[in-house]
Amino acid sequence: MKNLTNTLIKGLAYCLILSLFSSCEKHLERPPLSDIAPENYLNDESHLAAYSIARYNFRTQALQADNFGPYTDDTHTDNQATRGYNNRFVPGQWRVGSTGGDWSFGNIYPLNYFIQTVLPRFAEGKITGNTTNVKHYIGEVYFLRAFEYFEKLRALGDFPIIRTTLPDQKNALVEASKRMPRTEVARFILSDLDSAILFLNNNPVGGKNRITQAAAQLFRSRVALFEGTWLKYHQGTPLVPNGPGWPGAEKDYNKGYQFKSGSLEGEIDFFLTEAMASAKVVADAYPLAANTKVIRRTLSDNNPYFDMFGSADLSTYGEVLLWRAYSTALGLAHSANHYLQFNGGSNGYTRGYVDNFLMQNGLPIYAAGSGYAGDDSVHLVKVNRDWRLQLFMKAPGEVKALTNVASPQYEGYPNVWTASDGKNNYATGYAIKKGLSYDYTQQQLSQNVVGSVVFRAAEAYLNYMEASYEKTGAVDATAAGYWRKLRERAGVNTNFDVTVAATQMSEEAKNDWGAYSRGVLITPTLYNIRRERRSEFIADGMRWNDLLRWRALDQLVNTPYQIEGFKLWGPMEKWYNKPAGGTNLTATNVSSKTLSPYLRVNQINTSGNLVWEGYRWNVAHYLSPIAIQHFLLSSSDGSTVSTSPIYQNPGWPTAADQGPVGLK
Amino acid sequence: MKEILLRFSRRIKDKLFLLILLFSYSTGFGQQVNVRGTVSDAAGPLPGVSVKVDGTSSGAATNGSGTFSLKANPNASLSFTFVGYKTQKVTLSARNRTGSGDYVLNVTLQSDDTALDEVVVVGFGTQKKVNLTGAVGTVDSKALESRPVQNAVQALQGLVPGLNISASGNGGELNSGRSINIRGTGTIGAGSKGDPLVLIDGMEGDLTALNPQDIESISVLKDAASSSIYGSRAPFGVILVTTKKGSSGAAKINYNTSFRRSSPVLLPDMMDSYSFVNYFNDASRNGGGGAVFDDKVVDRVLKYQKGELAPNDVVELGSGGKWNYDFTNADVDWYSEYYGNKPLSQEHSLSMNGGSEKWQYYASANYLDQDGLMKYGRDEFNRYTLTAKITGELSRFVRLNYSSRFVRQDYSRATYMGDGFYDNVARRARPIRPKYDPNGILMADVNYIDALENGGRRTEQQDWLYQQVRTTITPVNNWNIIGELNYRVNPYYIHEYGFKSLAYMADGVGTYTATTSIGNEYVYDKAYRSNFFNPNIYTDFTHSVGKNNFKVLLGYQSELSKYNDLTASRNDLITHEVPVISQTTSATPSISGQYQNWATTGFFGRLNYDLDGRYLLEANLRYDGTSRYRKDMRWNWFPSFSAGWNIARESFWEPIVNKIGTFKFRGSYGELGNQNTDVWYPTYVSIPTGTSSGNWLVNGVRPNTAGAPGLISSSLTWETIRSWNGGVDIGAFNDRLTATFDIYRRYTDNMMGPAPSLPATLGTAVPNTNNTDLRTNGWELSLGWRDRVSSFAYGVRLNLADNRTVVTKYPNETNSLNTYLPGYYTNEIWGFQTIDIARSQEEMNAHLASLPNGGQNALGSRWGAGDIMYADLNGDGKISEGSRTISDPGDLQIIGNSAPRYTFGLDLDASWKGFDFRMFWQGVAKRDFFPGGLTFWGTTGAGQFWSTAFTEHMDYFRLEDNLMGPNPDAYYPRPLFGDKNQRTQTKYLQNAAYARLKNLQLGYTLPASVTKNIRISNLRFYVSGENLVTITKLAKSLDPESVGIGRQGGTVYPLMKVVSAGLSLNF
Repeated sequence: MKNLTNTLIKGLAYCLILSLFSSCEKHLERPPLSDIAPENYLNDESHLAAYSIARYNFRTQALQADNFGPYTDDTHTDNQATRGYNNRFVPGQWRVGSTGGDWSFGNIYPLNYFIQTVLPRFAEGKITGNTTNVKHYIGEVYFLRAFEYFEKLRALGDFPIIRTTLPDQKNALVEASKRMPRTEVARFILSDLDSAILFLNNNPVGGKNRITQAAAQLFRSRVALFEGTWLKYHQGTPLVPNGPGWPGAEKDYNKGYQFKSGSLEGEIDFFLTEAMASAKVVADAYPLAANTKVIRRTLSDNNPYFDMFGSADLSTYGEVLLWRAYSTALGLAHSANHYLQFNGGSNGYTRGYVDNFLMQNGLPIYAAGSGYAGDDSVHLVKVNRDWRLQLFMKAPGEVKALTNVASPQYEGYPNVWTASDGKNNYATGYAIKKGLSYDYTQQQLSQNVVGSVVFRAAEAYLNYMEASYEKTGAVDATAAGYWRKLRERAGVNTNFDVTVAATQMSEEAKNDWGAYSRGVLITPTLYNIRRERRSEFIADGMRWNDLLRWRALDQLVNTPYQIEGFKLWGPMEKWYNKPAGGTNLTATNVSSKTLSPYLRVNQINTSGNLVWEGYRWNVAHYLSPIAIQHFLLSSSDGSTVSTSPIYQNPGWPTAADQGPVGLK
Repeated sequence: MKEILLRFSRRIKDKLFLLILLFSYSTGFGQQVNVRGTVSDAAGPLPGVSVKVDGTSSGAATNGSGTFSLKANPNASLSFTFVGYKTQKVTLSARNRTGSGDYVLNVTLQSDDTALDEVVVVGFGTQKKVNLTGAVGTVDSKALESRPVQNAVQALQGLVPGLNISASGNGGELNSGRSINIRGTGTIGAGSKGDPLVLIDGMEGDLTALNPQDIESISVLKDAASSSIYGSRAPFGVILVTTKKGSSGAAKINYNTSFRRSSPVLLPDMMDSYSFVNYFNDASRNGGGGAVFDDKVVDRVLKYQKGELAPNDVVELGSGGKWNYDFTNADVDWYSEYYGNKPLSQEHSLSMNGGSEKWQYYASANYLDQDGLMKYGRDEFNRYTLTAKITGELSRFVRLNYSSRFVRQDYSRATYMGDGFYDNVARRARPIRPKYDPNGILMADVNYIDALENGGRRTEQQDWLYQQVRTTITPVNNWNIIGELNYRVNPYYIHEYGFKSLAYMADGVGTYTATTSIGNEYVYDKAYRSNFFNPNIYTDFTHSVGKNNFKVLLGYQSELSKYNDLTASRNDLITHEVPVISQTTSATPSISGQYQNWATTGFFGRLNYDLDGRYLLEANLRYDGTSRYRKDMRWNWFPSFSAGWNIARESFWEPIVNKIGTFKFRGSYGELGNQNTDVWYPTYVSIPTGTSSGNWLVNGVRPNTAGAPGLISSSLTWETIRSWNGGVDIGAFNDRLTATFDIYRRYTDNMMGPAPSLPATLGTAVPNTNNTDLRTNGWELSLGWRDRVSSFAYGVRLNLADNRTVVTKYPNETNSLNTYLPGYYTNEIWGFQTIDIARSQEEMNAHLASLPNGGQNALGSRWGAGDIMYADLNGDGKISEGSRTISDPGDLQIIGNSAPRYTFGLDLDASWKGFDFRMFWQGVAKRDFFPGGLTFWGTTGAGQFWSTAFTEHMDYFRLEDNLMGPNPDAYYPRPLFGDKNQRTQTKYLQNAAYARLKNLQLGYTLPASVTKNIRISNLRFYVSGENLVTITKLAKSLDPESVGIGRQGGTVYPLMKVVSAGLSLNF
């Protein structure tokens, strides 16, 4: 017992000494054991690859949050509709937010961190790994910064240009809040893309799952075309720097702004020229996927043009410049087929869109001798039409599943009468087929692995055609060549002059907002370039940006537009008869026959329906408002908006929860 | 119960026979004499005093005038006992007989000074309760007795004023913890924690992982003066648990057991199928959509309900050979289906203690088997504890304490019962969904039965092994040197595997992955281990000079906590029979692991001084360092002072000291620092990385990812807590009446605040910094009455506490309502004032016409009959939230406050002739709550798949032509898949105050005369129930204890109502 006591006392004494005298500081010095310090990262090719891929931020089928992805990005335009409307068509309903919105820099910050950390190390040769790959990942980050900035340019126009990360100090952040004129922002984007093109190559590790030089060129043409046409059509309004009432002029730092090229005309020309140059690089190098003009009924029916949007592996399609892959095994699959392509997805093409497609002979449907079969059924409306309509719009009786199912599954009559449950409802009767997989399992929830196209070369063809026409007022030989290739693939008479000659703008105006710019009808040639773009980008989510830059919504300020679907109140009415007699159509689930023979998606419900009279517009809506919080946080006292360096976009008030004032 | 007794008595029948024989002998040969007399105290005769003849079972009690009479052997001695008085023994032989040979005893009982001698455990020692100067609440083991709860935390709720315990996480899950705080919000939780420190026998521990029967007493150190000896680990109070230890004497054995039946306290009641389809159709049509369920489905639902369809005719054929599972027509109440188990559970405890004068031991074992409410894929919880303690005198100067405590918790549930399950029960378990398809196969597409039953299990095993050695050296009297070594190992292992749930085609043969199913089958294992090492060395010295008493304490404390874990998971099993990670096949396993540690060191001292127990002073000082901060700001001083004045000890009190024996004023002030930051390395930045975590596949694999490091504020430093406390303790009428009142103010300065708002150009999360102050004011009252009338003893105890917290400084430059507002109480609810539901379109139109500048457009469109009319409080001709700032709140105003106020506990007990009774109520007397989400509202703005339908929701606005009949005076507005009617507003503000009968128990202790014969010193039977009655005005779909937690506005695992029967046996 005594020994035990002694041992214990000795032990305790030892502990005492150990604890007290072996330096408490050492005991308390405990840096993280399992974390990587910033100085130990972004030093190797693999670090750069991991950092860059995590910043990819494209509109592809989101995993769970969004069941449709880009297929429905044209909803709430004259192309596509759902039961329900967007507040942008109800002036007074789209209001200034109190917080959040597009005035955000969260995606830009990590890109700036990369550039300011990696470039000095790269210059000093301190980054290990294959130099081509290292350069490629640096190029990707430049591309991604340009991509994020284009989102800002599109939504807000003038925007701060921030090239480095900033300290968490208010003064520096307020200073950085100064909005640069949009022309400067667009030039900044192009310069980032120039850096990207310099660093990127066309055969990165990962192939076309990663950004390539060609993708950067294509995107560069997109940005330049956007800005060039924006400046051209919005000139003379507050939406263009130095225009009358441009709010930038109210701030000292933007007062007396000088365009880089000296004039607005110079800027327009600069951007259109850059758009042509970049587009040409891509269009000349990348051919279009072939259209075999077959609508698949059996497994042996192949059509690369259709399959380019409906396959799991898109790497073999030369036209595709960047795509996203999915895998059920890796837990990364989506549900687009579950909702949209196999069922209705509560979405559909508008009558205006469908009627806008040409006949294969190149004539518009209204033209004499067009051979148009009418729209008494979804089948008839597709007869002899542009193959893009035939391929990418469903019709009852077409096959929709062939593999992994006991017997082929066929498309039924479009369900227009049940509720908009996101899956079963067909909003307009004209249903979207782009992206359909014929594999039955892929229409199950979260089992869809159809790859998603981010960039494809056809856009370059279209960008060149438009930019060159806008710049010169004529279709040059290159543009004509591109145009013929697009029409050839679409199965439409390649002689576009036939179409131009037969085009009546008053007829097109019924179906196409893009028939207008600044509220007036445009020329038939330019119109047909725009029509080509509209037809080629079927369900590609490109429409809204085009309408904005063309200033193609002014006419809705005074004349509301009614969205229509298929001709429900014709022979197709009997599709909805119940076997036992009676019909599934009721006064509350479809629009009344007395309004129109066509299904009117916004005239089903009267009570408090703000779009009953159709879609309207306010010119302020071309740009988004900046939320009030941002003015307050950058003001000198937290409450006086005028002391903030930020200015609101034209027509929008600096008060939360209010619609546009001033502009109409 | 009878059987047990019989079996027991049979086993010892031989001995029993002998005992009876002996007993007869002694009584038979004794010569009985009459004893009578009067018992009184200083104030006069005492009724109800128990008089016992020692060594026998005979006795009596004094009557109303304090007299008694009984028969006893002339050699006998008598014991006089009465609550609040010292027991007095009288040996008859030492007294004179009267002429008739009787004894007449006039006994005067001395009031019991044990109340004065009662000691309370405080930091690193004990203190006489009467000499306490800080705010300390105590609970003794009695208050925890016979409670059929899962752990001690549940039993503690409501027992100590100022100790707040509430449900957290997903509510009543068997492994869910409770959130505990002392005196309300200490921090706003942005980067730091305000939890109390829990010490079990001086070592940090987990209150849930403890054998409740081992608890001897619990002290709650509430003010800074009491807790400052623990420094930076205890800024928001300490819960000190002292466990039982052995006492010398023959072995005493205690066995406790209880059997329990649990059921949900509250289950929402789902609508019947026909009401449901109409409700959803109304909601869709009201919003301008078509019907969710077409006429055909509605018709089938109605027919099925009426019994016109065959029982299995619940669904029609859909597309692709599947059932048309979205449009079924059954009628099932899924809540009672999923939570339909009423488990039978049990707890057994056995303890032994005894020893010699020098060596004592205590050993105990406890087993709890608690099952959950899940009917499919049962959830189960088991706890095993084993404790051993040895206390010994090694020599005259050295004492040794050693204790070892092992606790194991096993928890198991269905893999599919994850967080999402609580959403799915509410939003996907529609009444029309059948259990079985027409072939009699589970419809895995629309219900979770197959997923729960066959979709795999998650098991968690957590062990705690505590090792504690303490040596006390006493070189001279009044001087102790104490060395403690505390060590804890806490391994935790999780094993989880998930299988796909398969749905059957309509042919009853083909299968496919059900919509309820997980995408990939997998096995997941996680192991973690934490090691905690804590040496304490301290010394105390007591000295008295005349009436001046001094006590000094000096010490050193150090802690080191190390944590590491390893996680692995891999998809695709070779066979379901062996769900083990090595039998999985996917090429891309997911693996992670980490090492972390933190340490503290502290030096502390305490000085106590009192003058004759009248004037009391205490001062504490602690110097503390922590690994959480860098060298330059690591160390901090924490002083505290307290003083007391025992007025009852003053001479001028003498005349009433008989009535009011204790009257003490106390006051204290202390400062503390908080090192409990959420992250262990708050001053270091690191690169966030992910392995194979990218969601953008490259070459068919998930790439590695990385991101930018966050920002760290350069000025990050300690939070400082200052606390003032004033109190008074009163004991009157021989401590029959006791009262304690405390009033306090606590400041948390330099608190880690939620990041300040900076211009968005920063582009990343603003780093947290010490930029916030808050102040909590509160008071606590504890009132007790304990008395005995004849053999009827009873007691009443009321605890009442309140506190309110104001954030006094907060970087809210825009005065936004979306975050804390300086100068405002926390938990304020900003909302609209409701005028009413518009009963007609005309009424709504008239209301909108009164709002010419935009009507209610800011909240939504298509206003009509059945929608809410909001009041235009600011008179700007429109309804809006303005910019949600103080200067522009639109039509918002403060309509309530969701902080619980006036928390109370009411404990009533009584005993009479072996029967005992206890009733314990706990509750909150004031609280507002604004409900959001589908639990309260039914249909929501998130659409039909994030909506539900309970019976209460049927009380919604319907016009004349509605299929379900008109309901113009409805409680709920017309249903919508929209939120315009669900804005925070006065009409739907809930009163979340409640009182809940936490415990009701009735026990019977067999008379000693019976039990003695079978060598049992004590045998008690009882029935006891938990959560039996709830009084509240809250909406029926919400439990007042779980409002504000859970998902979707309150989809929680129900709390449990428990009824139990048990016995307690002492040898």
